[in-house]
Amino acid sequence: MIIVRDLAFRTLLVPELIIPPGTSALVGPNGSGKTTFLQILAGILKPEKCSVQIHGKSPVECRIGFMNEYPDRNMLFSRVSDEIASSLRFSCSPCGEISRGVELALESAGILHLKNRRIHTLSGGEMALVALLAVTIHSPEVLLLDEFDSHLDDRAVDAAEQIIRASGAVTVLRCTQNMDVASHSKTMIALFSGRIRATGSPSDVFSALSGTCFVPFGWRD
Amino acid sequence: MKLVLDRITVARDEWHCHADGTLHPGIHLVTGRVGSGKTTLARIISGVLNPSSGKIIREGISSSMLCQQFPEYHVTGATVAKEAESYGVAAEKAMEIAGLSGLGEEDPFRLSRGELRRFQIACLELRDWDLIVFDEPFSALDCQEKQRVSRRISLLSSRIVIVFTHEQRYLPRTDFLWEMRDGVLQFLGTVPQALPYWETAPGHVRMLLENGIIPANLTEEDLREGLCRMQG
Repeated sequence: MIIVRDLAFRTLLVPELIIPPGTSALVGPNGSGKTTFLQILAGILKPEKCSVQIHGKSPVECRIGFMNEYPDRNMLFSRVSDEIASSLRFSCSPCGEISRGVELALESAGILHLKNRRIHTLSGGEMALVALLAVTIHSPEVLLLDEFDSHLDDRAVDAAEQIIRASGAVTVLRCTQNMDVASHSKTMIALFSGRIRATGSPSDVFSALSGTCFVPFGWRD
Repeated sequence: MKLVLDRITVARDEWHCHADGTLHPGIHLVTGRVGSGKTTLARIISGVLNPSSGKIIREGISSSMLCQQFPEYHVTGATVAKEAESYGVAAEKAMEIAGLSGLGEEDPFRLSRGELRRFQIACLELRDWDLIVFDEPFSALDCQEKQRVSRRISLLSSRIVIVFTHEQRYLPRTDFLWEMRDGVLQFLGTVPQALPYWETAPGHVRMLLENGIIPANLTEEDLREGLCRMQG
């Protein structure tokens, strides 16, 4: 569970928000503050006074997997296998374990053929999948994914969902512009102009957003 | 005016793609799986990448523009206004179209990614290009912006406009349909006749086709009309 209190930063104004464990989707128009909000939860931005508790701890005490909306800003290394291995290497895991883990991760995502590819030769969608594997391989408690699916087709979104499920993260918050993807979450949070417009189950949130394009076809009257 | 892809091939290690065909003015939609070569082909068509073999013949095309998949790759200006000037367009006008008036002195990287994309498309549409190649123009945009951008792309049909995308919902009024299949660019035909042959069709289009309904085109209005017909 994530508890945010007294958040007033740039255009964001969130007096209190409780995000339950499970998968949640953060939705809203471009420029509504979604990225800033995720960065605050991740501890990348630390506004004064604001309190963020993740599973009872502060963000820096948590193992968080954070994926940037700019796919290539996630990349530290130039080769796919090095990138995916990075968090395990930083935590000094045994070499054999790391290479097996990387291989397994690539195989489960159906992209083992990319193992030795240079990052800069990847397509946008491939880069997004590699970034997702890199943030999920170290068994994060929390996953914060900013527009993880904006370069993925429907089949790749399915692969991404599987990677997310397999990560074992207790709480997953992902920002998406695909409302069909959002509708499969347990909880949705709609952020408009820095304020929480609605939060709750997809049906609660879609009924609060009724009449806007944020409601997918299948949820309209 | 026409664009001829004359036996284009690209080979990279074990990966390859082929393209052969002629593109006339109108809106061309190209779909294909992640990693199928859409971005590579977009770069070759717009002349920023050379193919391994084959050639591109441009008849009567005097100007062309590539709208890259990652809007951040376009940024060369230190401010939003300077960025607009780098396209040779009036900064005020571009900011107005993009809904970013008054942000001329901002660092382009302070914009959200969706705002940056919106701004880049606004800069691009302020000039007349004979050939425009959009690589995933809808990624990072919210639904209102996707609607707006797909409508504006629909208006450009007097030029050769090629849209590479995996967008499932908000598509422009499309004249010609293409698909990357196993590394080969296939021409499927004109819309709507080609729709039944479209392997990577979006979910809603597939659902309509499975129910025996062929939408008039791919715009949101066409799909909504198709869904109404399906529900009787």
